[in-house]
Amino acid sequence: MKLLRALLVLALALAVEVALGRFAPAARGYVDVLMVPVAWYGIARSARAGMLCGCAAGLLQDAWFETSVFGLHGFVKTLLGFVVGGIGGIFDLNQTFGRFGSGALMVLVGRAVEIGLLRLLDAEVGPLDLGELAVRAVATGLLLVAASHFLQRVRGEKQVRRRAGS
Amino acid sequence: MAGPSRFRLDLTLLAVLLFGQLLLMASSSRQDSGAAVLERGVAGASRPAVGASRAVTGGIGSVLSGWREIGRARSENVRLAREVERARQDLARFREAAAENSRLRRLLGMREDLAPRSVAASVVTAKLTSQNRMFVIDRGMDAGVRPDQAVVTWGGAVGRVVFADRSFAKVRLVTDPNSGIAGVVQRSRAAGMVIGRGDGSLDLSYVPKYEDVVAGDRVITSGLDGVFPAGFDIGTVTVVRDAAGVSKDVRLEPEVDFRAVEEVLVLLEPTGGAALAPPEEGAKP
Repeated sequence: MKLLRALLVLALALAVEVALGRFAPAARGYVDVLMVPVAWYGIARSARAGMLCGCAAGLLQDAWFETSVFGLHGFVKTLLGFVVGGIGGIFDLNQTFGRFGSGALMVLVGRAVEIGLLRLLDAEVGPLDLGELAVRAVATGLLLVAASHFLQRVRGEKQVRRRAGS
Repeated sequence: MAGPSRFRLDLTLLAVLLFGQLLLMASSSRQDSGAAVLERGVAGASRPAVGASRAVTGGIGSVLSGWREIGRARSENVRLAREVERARQDLARFREAAAENSRLRRLLGMREDLAPRSVAASVVTAKLTSQNRMFVIDRGMDAGVRPDQAVVTWGGAVGRVVFADRSFAKVRLVTDPNSGIAGVVQRSRAAGMVIGRGDGSLDLSYVPKYEDVVAGDRVITSGLDGVFPAGFDIGTVTVVRDAAGVSKDVRLEPEVDFRAVEEVLVLLEPTGGAALAPPEEGAKP
């Protein structure tokens, strides 16, 4: 059931990315929708959940939205999912500021790792647009806060219903 | 005891996943078939999500564009009626010119270039960021689309197919930093390599300093890269500077507005010479 839910969340994130690319292709640089489930699973569950979700989300991104090296974003998101899950096990990141900071930092660190890997692979690295990167970090952080808030409400209502039923 | 052993297990799993993806990256950069198979597998498994998104956004998009189109159609109707009349007169003149052209070509013993075989495709999604500029189109190997085929639109060159699955393909746009196509200045025939800058503009590289290039010149495909047929518009020269070294620094504004592209043509076979030239009646190859 947990696996099915995770797959559904990833499918939803992918569908949103595709829709964004259709209506506002330039806006794709300003938010990383597939980073949201990775951060969410890392913060709310565990390092393992974050890492596995990161692996799946990164490979989806590589398969649908990237033309450079297949596996690059899978690598980056796997690593980020594990790290945020590990930090989430030590500090309480599962509150508004923690979620926002995690989402934003994951975007910034992810970009740095991506550039490093591209340089190692001797691939062409495009110009680093700091404004675009900053907006991307903030927007992804905000999206993570909003998505977490929504998921918590849905979960809370489910628990209330379950308690009322028992 | 469960804590440390669980952590060790997580670390092992992380190492396995990262190592596996490093192998994938190495395989992908060498363009081995292994990475392409996995890429197809991942794309195939997630195709329902993309299809669902496409269906929903397609519906919303058609309603929105329908509203816009009605208003636009009214004003365009009047303008088009005038243009049709002018085009009729032009057509008569062009028929004469085409007939003359055919006669002269036969006289020179040149082979008439045929229009390249192509397939039309719709853009499913696009990514136009500084690092990556690409389209996903809804035609794949089933329609004859293969990697390294040219993709064009009515405005000009769009990009090159870099990956093809059964029912979709990824196109690297000419504005992507990893893209490069052979171009030529239409007026002076100065040749160079058109490379994406990542910010939406293009560079015409390797143009010697003695070549005649000025702002406003049009750059078209030269056909020398073996992917694009000659004659497709690439862009217009906006800046020309004498840089250090032996080449000029030439900046282009792309001909195609990639944000507005919805349909493209994939050229299934490269051809030399002028693109989309009308087939000559009764011409011998």
